[in-house]
Amino acid sequence: MINLTLYKKEWKSNWVMLIIFMGVLTMYAIMIISMFDPEMGDSLRTMAESMPEVFAAFGMADVGTTLLEFVTGYLYGILLTAFPAVYIIILANRLVAKYIDNGSMVYLLAVPEKRSKIVRTQMIFMVSSLLILEIFVLAVVLITSHFMFPGDLDIPGFLRANAGLFGLWVMFGGVCFLTSCVFNETKVTLGFSSAVVIYALLVQMISQVGDKFEKLKYATPMTLFNVDGLISNEQMAWITCGIMYGVGILCYIIAGQVFKRKNMPI
Amino acid sequence: MDDHVTAAYLQGGVSIVNTIVINHITKDYGHNRGVFDLSFNVEQGEVLGFLGPNGAGKTTTIRQLLGFIKPDSGKVKILGKDCFLHADKIQKSLGYLPGEITFMDSMNGMEFIRFSAKMKKMKDLGRAPELMEQFELNASGKIKKMSKGMKQKIGIVCAFMQDPDILILDEPTSGLDPLMQNRFVDLILSEKKRGKTILMSSHIFEEIERTCDRAAIIREGRLVAVDSMEKLCSGKKKKMEITFADASMARGFCDDFEDKETEIADRTVSVHVGMNIDRVIKKASVYTITDMSIHTQSLEDFFLHFYGGNKHD
Repeated sequence: MINLTLYKKEWKSNWVMLIIFMGVLTMYAIMIISMFDPEMGDSLRTMAESMPEVFAAFGMADVGTTLLEFVTGYLYGILLTAFPAVYIIILANRLVAKYIDNGSMVYLLAVPEKRSKIVRTQMIFMVSSLLILEIFVLAVVLITSHFMFPGDLDIPGFLRANAGLFGLWVMFGGVCFLTSCVFNETKVTLGFSSAVVIYALLVQMISQVGDKFEKLKYATPMTLFNVDGLISNEQMAWITCGIMYGVGILCYIIAGQVFKRKNMPI
Repeated sequence: MDDHVTAAYLQGGVSIVNTIVINHITKDYGHNRGVFDLSFNVEQGEVLGFLGPNGAGKTTTIRQLLGFIKPDSGKVKILGKDCFLHADKIQKSLGYLPGEITFMDSMNGMEFIRFSAKMKKMKDLGRAPELMEQFELNASGKIKKMSKGMKQKIGIVCAFMQDPDILILDEPTSGLDPLMQNRFVDLILSEKKRGKTILMSSHIFEEIERTCDRAAIIREGRLVAVDSMEKLCSGKKKKMEITFADASMARGFCDDFEDKETEIADRTVSVHVGMNIDRVIKKASVYTITDMSIHTQSLEDFFLHFYGGNKHD
C-alpha cells in the first residue's frame, strides 16, 4: 500500500512543523473559548459592535449565544481555515515539488518501487497528518470547553462542524498536492497554491462584508464549507460538504496520475 | 533488435547479450538540446564509456535509462524491459550514481546510507561498510556541511552497496581527488572482473581509457562513434614537445618527418603523435634531449581532429 521507509522519513522531517501549527491553534482555541461568557454577553461581542465590517470580513458578524456558535463563529470562520492552509501549502510543496526541485527525488525513484506507490505514500502522509491535526484541534476544543464550561457544548453539532472543517482541509490539501505534482519548481508550486488559497479566503472575506458583495460567495470554494448549516444538520450543507471531499479526492487521484506519467528533470 | 532475447547475437561463436539497449531515441528540448536518434547497446559484462563534452546529452540519455523521463520517440530497454514502464523491476538489479549529488537535507551521511538501503529493500547495509573503508569515508557528519568529494563518496557507496548486476554511473569521479579517482578505477576494474555490466559517463577521456572496453561518443545529442577503446585511442593525438641540446639536432630530427607533422622553434620541436609514437621516440633517442612534455588533446579537440567534424554543423 505505502512505502513505510518513506512514510517514516516524512514524519521525521515534518513533525516539528506539525507541532508548531498545533501549538498556535491550541493557543487560539483556548484564548477564544476562555472569552466566552454565557451570562453577561461577551467582550468580543462588544468589540464586534465597535467595528462590524472587520468582524464581518472574518465571518464573525452574527456569532450566536451558545458556546458552539461562539466557538465555530470565532474559530472556524478564519483561524482554522487560514492557518491550516499555510501548513497545507508548505507541506504539499515539501512532499513532491521540493524533491524534484533539489534533485533528491532521484533517491525516491531509483528504487525497486512503482512511482504510484511513492506518490501514494506522500498523499497518505499528507492526509494522515491533517487528520492528526483535526483530531488534535477537536480534542483541544472539547477538553477546554469541558473544563471551563462543563456541559455547555453541543457535542454532536460540534462534530458535524468538524466533519466539514476536515473536508475543507482535504480539498485544500488535494489542490495543493496536485499543484506540487504538476510543477517542478518550489517557487512556482508555492506561488500557485498560495494564490489559490488566498483567492478563496479573500473572496469569502469580501463577500461577508456587506450585501453589495454577497453574490461573490458563489465565486469562492469556501462557501462549500457551511458551518451553521452543518450544525443545524441541513441537507444542503451536507451536500456541499460532500463536494469538498469529492474535489479533494479527485485532485489526489489526478495528482497520482500526473506523477506517474511526468518527466522528472532530476 | 529491441527485444532482450532477440538482442542476443553471435560474435566469434560467443553469444552476446545486450543488457542495455538504446534504440533510436529522441528527446528534444529545443535549441538543439537533448538527444537525437541515438542508438547504442551495452553488452552484458562490459564496461562502456559514455563520452561527450558538457551539455552533449549524456545525462538526458541516462535519465531515460533510469525511467525519469520518456523519450519522445524510440525505445530504451534494460534487461529487455521498457525503462519507463518497468523502472521498478529494473531497479532491482541496478545501481545508479547521479551526476548531480543532492541528498535529503537534515540527514547525516550514515542516516542517508541507511535510508537509501531501506528504500532499495536491502536487509542490511550490504557492501556499504567495505566501500566506506575503501574510500576512507566517515559519513557521520551532516550532509549539508560535506564537501563535494565527500558527497560523491556517499553517492558511490549508495550505488554499489546492493551489489547490483548493472551499474549506471554519471560522471562518477567528479569531485574526487586523484588518489580516490584511482581507488574508483580499481573498484570498476574489480566489478568488471565480477561480471558486472557498467555504463559510465565522463567528459574525461583518460578515465574512460583506463576502465572501459568500448566507448560511445556523443556530441550535441548525436552519436559520433561507438567503438572499442583501442580503435578510438588510435584516433587520439597528442602533442609532444621535445627540447634538444642544440638547434641542429632539432632540425635533424625534423628532417625525418613530414612538414605538417612537426613544428620547430629553435631547439624545441612539437610533434603530433598518434599511431607514429614508436617512430617518434626511436628517432628522438638518437639525439640528446634536455626536456620533454606531452599535451593530451581535450575531448573537444579530439572530436575535431578525429572526426574532422565542424562544431556547428
